[in-house]
Amino acid sequence: MIGMLKSMATTMKHALDGEKFTVQYPEETPEVSPRFRGVHKFSQERCIWCRQCEKVCPNDTIQIVTDDMRNGEQYNLHIGQCIYCRLCEEVCPVDAILLTQNFEFTGDTKDDLAYSKEQLKNVPWYKDIDPLASREPDREGWVGEGDGEVDYQ
Amino acid sequence: MASALTALQGAPLPDRLVEVLPFGSGPLGTAIAALVGAAIVGSLMMTMTAVAGPWAKRKVTAAFTDRYAVNRLGPFGLVIIVADAVRLLSKELIVPEGVDRPAWDLAPIVLAFSALLGFAVIPMGSGIHLADPEVGLVYVFAIASIASLGLVMAGYASNNKFSMLGGLRAVAQNLAYEIPLILIAVSVVLFAGSLQMSEIVAAQAEPLVTVAGFSVPTWYAFVNPFAFVLFVIANLMEVGRNPFDIPEAPTELVAGYQTEYSSVYFVLIYLGEFLHIFLGGAVIATLFLGGPAGPGPASIGIVWFIAKIWAVYLFTQWARSALPRLRIDQLIEIGWKGMLVLALANLVLTAVIVGVIA
Amino acid sequence: MSLEEPRPTDVGEAADGTVDYDELEALLGETALDREDHVNAPAFVVRPDEVQEALSALREEAGFDYCSNVTAQQYEDRFESIYHLKKYDDPTQEVGVVVPTPTDDPISQTGEPVYRTAEWHEREAYDLVGIEYEGHPDMRRILLPETWQGHPLGLDYNPEKPQVVPFREHANPLQPDTRGEGAESDTMFLNIGPHHPATHGVLHVKTVLDGEQIADVEPDIGYLHRCEEQMCQQSTYRHQIMPYPDRWDYVSAGILNEWAYARAAEDMADIDVPEYAQVIRTMSAELCRIASHMLALGTFALDVFGDFTAVFQYAFRDREVVQNILEDLTGQRLMFNYLRLGGVAWDLPEPRSEFFEKIRDFLDGLPEKTTEYHNLITSNEIFQVRCVDTGELPPETAKQYGATGPVARGSGIDFDLRRDDPYGYYEELDWDVITEDGCDNYSRVLVRMREVEESAKIIEQCVDLLAEWPEDDREIQSNVPRTLKPDADTEIYRGVEAAKGELGIYMRSDGTDKPARFKIRSPCFCNLHTLREMSEGEYIPDLIASLGSLDIVLGEVDR
Repeated sequence: MIGMLKSMATTMKHALDGEKFTVQYPEETPEVSPRFRGVHKFSQERCIWCRQCEKVCPNDTIQIVTDDMRNGEQYNLHIGQCIYCRLCEEVCPVDAILLTQNFEFTGDTKDDLAYSKEQLKNVPWYKDIDPLASREPDREGWVGEGDGEVDYQ
Repeated sequence: MASALTALQGAPLPDRLVEVLPFGSGPLGTAIAALVGAAIVGSLMMTMTAVAGPWAKRKVTAAFTDRYAVNRLGPFGLVIIVADAVRLLSKELIVPEGVDRPAWDLAPIVLAFSALLGFAVIPMGSGIHLADPEVGLVYVFAIASIASLGLVMAGYASNNKFSMLGGLRAVAQNLAYEIPLILIAVSVVLFAGSLQMSEIVAAQAEPLVTVAGFSVPTWYAFVNPFAFVLFVIANLMEVGRNPFDIPEAPTELVAGYQTEYSSVYFVLIYLGEFLHIFLGGAVIATLFLGGPAGPGPASIGIVWFIAKIWAVYLFTQWARSALPRLRIDQLIEIGWKGMLVLALANLVLTAVIVGVIA
Repeated sequence: MSLEEPRPTDVGEAADGTVDYDELEALLGETALDREDHVNAPAFVVRPDEVQEALSALREEAGFDYCSNVTAQQYEDRFESIYHLKKYDDPTQEVGVVVPTPTDDPISQTGEPVYRTAEWHEREAYDLVGIEYEGHPDMRRILLPETWQGHPLGLDYNPEKPQVVPFREHANPLQPDTRGEGAESDTMFLNIGPHHPATHGVLHVKTVLDGEQIADVEPDIGYLHRCEEQMCQQSTYRHQIMPYPDRWDYVSAGILNEWAYARAAEDMADIDVPEYAQVIRTMSAELCRIASHMLALGTFALDVFGDFTAVFQYAFRDREVVQNILEDLTGQRLMFNYLRLGGVAWDLPEPRSEFFEKIRDFLDGLPEKTTEYHNLITSNEIFQVRCVDTGELPPETAKQYGATGPVARGSGIDFDLRRDDPYGYYEELDWDVITEDGCDNYSRVLVRMREVEESAKIIEQCVDLLAEWPEDDREIQSNVPRTLKPDADTEIYRGVEAAKGELGIYMRSDGTDKPARFKIRSPCFCNLHTLREMSEGEYIPDLIASLGSLDIVLGEVDR
């Protein structure tokens, strides 16, 4: 009986202190970590079309189409198929692909989530923060260059 | 206080309505007056259920769990009541294959109305009192017990094994708790010397002790707190709320007897559940908490009465937040070996005390 | 050997606690045809019709009482089942039993009479690879549907071929269900799941009820089978496998799972991990353990309390704090992908002091919250009558079924790979292995609650270490080749103590940059196997509570 009363006292204490742990989401957006991995942003100016991201992607999410002169034509990324592992960002030698902190994206069909180059370029920053700067101090550790063959080109 | 109570003991609501309404006092007029009176009480209870179900329950649960709850629609999210009503009623009524049709259709109606009919004899104060038969208390327990029939009908007729188990559990549970519940109520009857609800309320009006100018009335909860606690627990079991929601047991039996019900039938069952909690609250208020009595003029008795019902309702939600569910065999064991013995002991004790004093 | 004389149970155990494999070979005698060297331990090759003889000799006389895993695989010229045996007393003492069977006649003797846990492992081997086990009590598919054609991990399996299942093979679900013991019997068959509020995912428990009591249960798994082993076999060691372990036990035990793969691959390819990275790994893994145990506590309370009520929400609230910390560290809340072969992906976030402050705040608040949980849950009399002496799992049975983790420790088995087979930085830290002797649901909950406190102790020490770590020695990743190609035919089986028990990885390389066989030994899979022992003769609510106390994650059971 005492244990039951203790249980009830505990919940009543929570009810009376009026504290809330949840947030009212659209009005109060969460602070996400600078390392947070959201939807991708692509920069065509930086991209050298080396295809490393396409090769490393565990899920075949990225599709790159180049012409016979190795000039990039298409950069397609299915953000619904992506597992947000950030390996593409890690292997990219020029920061052309970056996972923003933006987690607010939707689509009515699966096809809506297959982003083309233009859509990827227009992905907005979350709260206007470019996470690249905050990730800078850690860039050294992302992927050690290591020995062994370089498996692109 | 006493004068307020004599006003209360006046004619029941329909009799007074006969005089107000322009239909005379013939059979037709009486019938219309009775219907109007029932409609008033019924809609009062339905309104309370509507507030309690979609809104208050969520708010209270959220308070216990440190969350926000319904707060988007209207002030304090109250418009959710309308939204929920529309949502529930506009759902498709799915009739599973192989249900036992008349029984399956009747069960939700039986469940809802067995609770609603119980309010007929409850004196709610401010003159809202539909009928005052001499066997009022017996009537309440008799009519509330019909709910067991509804549960077993729902469980059996659904052609679902989870429902069946739920229905059987409901019967076993109600049998185990009906008897202690009534035995405890009998101790109140011994004290009040009457089965009539208004008499029981009147018997609790005398001041018990006066402490520093503040008089404590002879509410039965103060006279015999032991019986009060027992009754509150037995009542929780009777209405099947946590920790005794064994017939529903979402994590075990999906939803027990109500698994196969949707749309309007679900609403009726849901209504029935809340009405049962309120009826339980009303019985507790009448038997133990002095009915509509409270500070202020007798005309606001209904406010006190509803406050007492809601207090009981909030208690059920509080228990729900903190107490695990018992297992069916443990529950029945507590019922037959614990509660029944305690209830009998309480009855004998009360009988001795009343006998000695009288 | 006469019957009076007690047979020795420690043949092959050298005085210093290592295994003398020559002595084991002598014990097996004629049974052992050959000896193979795996990275973790040598393995003896045994004829397919002498499996039980070899296994029982190793179990009865050499004391290998823990069958950790059964791996099946197909080579060009043969099938092979490997029984990975360990000892509960000292899991560093390992031995393998390799059973080759010819391709055209893949029939091997079952090991089920010796180790009960082999029952499910062998069913899985039959299902995915196609080896048949003679004398197995129940040789059916386990993960794939009964109607599946072919064995997907066999070499001749054609994934392109559509699975055409004739309509007649599907039993009509609307037919009256008269399973049980005939139409006259008193029992009732009840499907609990796959859509049921208390099965923690899509688990289907076929239950035969006698009144409210359980006459028989049989978990039917495989609804969440996602070919994780096959996906890992198609991914490169260096990068592509690492994101997948997060998705086995997906309820926030990600880093613990990643560590299982990291440990196996690092031992296989001989990669060193800098000490600094080991400390970070240890800290983040323990944070994951707290998050996972909080969830286990919350959902168990949900099963017993019966509603989404206070305990569940409080446990989730505390788990949320852990997840915020992990988000700061790894960038994600569930699918961390934080470990890399040879280290971790990021250093601690800047500013470091703020990060440490956040962890310390959480740890400081933990005792108060633990008291709250004890007030709410364990000291509650109703909770006690529900959980004490229900779902009993005696230690001997638990060992037979290969139970590990809090389930084993709740049965009084003092077994924790973090201490017994040390990895990471655990050896240097001061903490205890929690055991409870109750063998019931209550003990399992208590073990988890107390383990949270131990994890907090570990994290606290790690934070102290990290805070004082010299700035010029913060190497988070060793130099690992960009393309990792371990030597051909290297085989390894390595386990780590994940939140639910021993999560083991078996890998065999074929000289390419992708594993030729990748086998996951899932702790939930083995723990779930004990459900029948735990719940027979009890009531439905006890079955639900036992299921909750096992703390299974179907993503890991089905893989």
